[in-house]
Amino acid sequence: MRAALSTATAALRRRWRRTILSAVGIVLAAAMLAAALVVGEGLGGGFDRAAAAADLPDVIVRFDPQSPGAVAKRIAALPDVRAFSLRDEVTNVPIEANGHSDQSASVEIVGTGPRGYAVVAGRQMSSTRFGEVVVERGLAQAWGIGLGSRLYVAGLGPLRVVGLAEAPDNVSYPLAVPRIYLSESALAARFGVAPGTPVDQAEIWLRDPRFLDEVLVQARTISYGVHGLRFVTRAGAKVLLDQAAGIVIDLLVALSLIALATASVMLAASARAEVQRRLGSIGVRRALGASRGHVAGAQALEAALVAAPAALLGTAAGTLSTYAPAGRLLTMLNEAPAGGGLILPLAGCLAVSVAIPVLAAAWPAWRAAGRPPVALLGGVELTRRRGKGSRRAFGRGGRTGSPAGVAVLGARLVAARRSRLAATALMLGVSTAFVLLLLSLASALQTLETDPGALGERYQLTAQLPPSSVREVRALPGVQAVAPRYEVQAADSFNLGETIDVIAYPGDHTVFEAPPLTDGRRLHAPDEAEVGAGLADALGLSPGSTLALAFTSGTELRLRVAGVVSSLDHDGRVAYIPARALLAAMPSAPEQLAVRLSPGADSALVSARLEALGGEPQATGGATDRGQALVAVLRTLLRAVAIVDGLVCLYALVQACTLTTAERRGTIAVLRAGGAGAMAVRALLSGAVVAMVVPAAVLGVLLELFVMGPTLSHLAAAYASLSLVAGPGQIAGVLAGLAAAALGAVMLVARQIGSEPVIAGLDTP
Amino acid sequence: MAVVTARGVEKSVGTGRAIRRILEGADLEVHEGEMVAVLGQSGSGKSTLLHLLGALDRPDRGEIVLTGHDLGRLDPGSLARVRLRHVGFVFQSFHLIDELSGAENVVLPARLPGAPRGGARRANQLIEDLGLADVSDHRPFELSGGEQQRFAIARALVNDPELVLADEPTGNLDRENGAAVLDLLRGLRGRAVVIVTHEPEAAAVADRILRLREGRLVPEIGTDARPAARALR
Repeated sequence: MRAALSTATAALRRRWRRTILSAVGIVLAAAMLAAALVVGEGLGGGFDRAAAAADLPDVIVRFDPQSPGAVAKRIAALPDVRAFSLRDEVTNVPIEANGHSDQSASVEIVGTGPRGYAVVAGRQMSSTRFGEVVVERGLAQAWGIGLGSRLYVAGLGPLRVVGLAEAPDNVSYPLAVPRIYLSESALAARFGVAPGTPVDQAEIWLRDPRFLDEVLVQARTISYGVHGLRFVTRAGAKVLLDQAAGIVIDLLVALSLIALATASVMLAASARAEVQRRLGSIGVRRALGASRGHVAGAQALEAALVAAPAALLGTAAGTLSTYAPAGRLLTMLNEAPAGGGLILPLAGCLAVSVAIPVLAAAWPAWRAAGRPPVALLGGVELTRRRGKGSRRAFGRGGRTGSPAGVAVLGARLVAARRSRLAATALMLGVSTAFVLLLLSLASALQTLETDPGALGERYQLTAQLPPSSVREVRALPGVQAVAPRYEVQAADSFNLGETIDVIAYPGDHTVFEAPPLTDGRRLHAPDEAEVGAGLADALGLSPGSTLALAFTSGTELRLRVAGVVSSLDHDGRVAYIPARALLAAMPSAPEQLAVRLSPGADSALVSARLEALGGEPQATGGATDRGQALVAVLRTLLRAVAIVDGLVCLYALVQACTLTTAERRGTIAVLRAGGAGAMAVRALLSGAVVAMVVPAAVLGVLLELFVMGPTLSHLAAAYASLSLVAGPGQIAGVLAGLAAAALGAVMLVARQIGSEPVIAGLDTP
Repeated sequence: MAVVTARGVEKSVGTGRAIRRILEGADLEVHEGEMVAVLGQSGSGKSTLLHLLGALDRPDRGEIVLTGHDLGRLDPGSLARVRLRHVGFVFQSFHLIDELSGAENVVLPARLPGAPRGGARRANQLIEDLGLADVSDHRPFELSGGEQQRFAIARALVNDPELVLADEPTGNLDRENGAAVLDLLRGLRGRAVVIVTHEPEAAAVADRILRLREGRLVPEIGTDARPAARALR
């Protein structure tokens, strides 16, 4: 074994350049695979892990403040309840720590019973001693708050942070308002408040979550007279988070598989070339009595010596580079990182990253060793050559003394290995399509952040004015259209866990809000509605279905679904209905004016005029400000993936060029002996690279324009009108990048060839 | 007129303890229309000498002048141009490119940037002259050894070089094909031809036979090249 090891090491050292190139491929593939695992495993199971750790309730019910006794009595009347806890949520509380402050924190005053959140660091606050607070981990991370830090809460003064919490019922700061937890009994002890302070939230755990619907129906019935009722179910929270994570996971997994496939194809080709070069020595070993397995084993050992450290390095790099950003993302989503659960999948990733190159190396050696030793000693080709040359193809093709003729030769040398050319072009094409897609995604994120139009919003301002002010506002310079806008929350009568944002306009709502129609038509009749795709998915609605809305007023409204629209702003759980229908069911629906500006109008000037009318104008935005952090993290992730993808492309090109030159060492040496200078060598390599890159570029662009872009746009259609089809600028940029990678590969390999004496290549048969 | 002149050429190969001096002051002058054969045992430095004469390698010491160009003073780009315009190589293992037909292999050097004009015409003429027209569309693995070597010779001549260097040109051929190839080389008019070989029969066709002994080129004594050449025919 020691002898075999030293032989293998010596062989690797002799061809150190190719060894390094192979190692780079394995590092990249293993890194991509590990990155996909870390992100996929983190996001894929994050909610379940956090929900399990937090013992997340099956239902969270929010309502206008009620006495705890009355709420407890109603909950006790529900069937199948295992446990419940009551709490009071105080919103818009100013807090401050570490130089950061926020005026809209949510303070949850926690009573007895289960808490519904996990303490991931430190401990729970004392229920008897005032002065301790538990803060959400996302807030702690964003503000640099640690255990023992001081947090100033308006009205309560400085509190000591004793624990960090994670509650996956909602996303965390900065995606949502800061959330902190205080003990009700400690507060009562400090301020002398008697127990029985009103509560506005109940968390309910069921014995059997399968009976959730029945419990919700019952809860709706017994909560008659309770205002502001809103249910959030554990399943509902999971669906929302999983939808968003699914796209990212799918992208990463697909890309890592492509990287792995690329590396495998290249490594297999490299191993094949190496075995071809060693046919003589394999023949000698076979003639001396070495078994087929022995020959293949020796080749496998060499490959393992390269693959094991490279795969380890790649796995470590992939893990380290994504663990922290994925952790930040999970913290924002209030989900738990995989932690120790990653060890097994990563070990699997390592094993795969070693096994594939080893098998790729051993297989051609095994096949070659199956040939008769005499044939091997005679230098037989591993693959039989077929076909007839054409005198016209090259002989009359190029101009005398021009690099074009040599470039054509380069293309033909590459084309001679058809399967490898196809695999390389396919990989480069898919990678090109991925980079285009990522660029489109980055643009789409930018659009979402800044352009309300992406969300279908066509009004720029809102004003807190009654409908009677419409004429007055319309008369303002710069105002193109104005209408009363009503927005209320309702529940689905058949599935009370599904809350719906109901939006109504007196006339054509598309003048002000025109989320793209994905199915059916716009509403025309007073008993029709348009529903968001998220809602349609959740409730199984389609054009022609009945939408039954249960309002907090106790009334119910039944409407026919006319169409399904895309909407991001309301998680897709939105319904557009005629104002007349809404006001009939809920006359007290809150109202405001939606103001659409004339093209080129000065928004600030119109705002000032609305202010003068007492309208408290507010500008509409794209994705909320709090969403910017998520957008930034996603952008970082996309950028990282695009960079790795670009590196994979460069690697594939360099490896393909190197393989071609390694296999055609003799050919290139003859050309050089015949007077081919550096320019001719570059032309030869350029021809080879063009043969790979041109079909790849065409394939990549077509794949993005007609497959990937439209598919992902369709997936995102539930949230927003996003065009993920690459524009001409992006296509030109990516093609320029591909050309630059190709040029880089040509220069790199040409330099390597130039550094080798001509006569060295002439020794190769 | 001397096409190539080598004076006091020294060359070592290998590194460290394995370093070995194989040329120790070799001198050679080959004139236009002259054919010189260099004999020597395996490893005596024949191929190394050929590489030095053909500007593929540089001597450690000494001077080589090829068609008026002092090779020691030229950069790699200029050396490549000298090879392109003034030297033709014929190798023992032919080194034809599998993906190209015989004709395409012949015209290949004429396609290189900087090659003299008229390459395609000369290629067609050479293919005709060497009796390869019928198999010019065949790829190398469809040709016999003799045909492959004739295509290789045509390729060496396509840019009309003054110097043709042949390294064991009959090494991979049977007696009959070997004789035909030597005949071809012998018939090249107006050029200087150097062949290196370890076979005295192959050397016999040359005007002059030199032996590489202890790093120096010495005339082979007692060999009358011309009768031997005639006998071979």
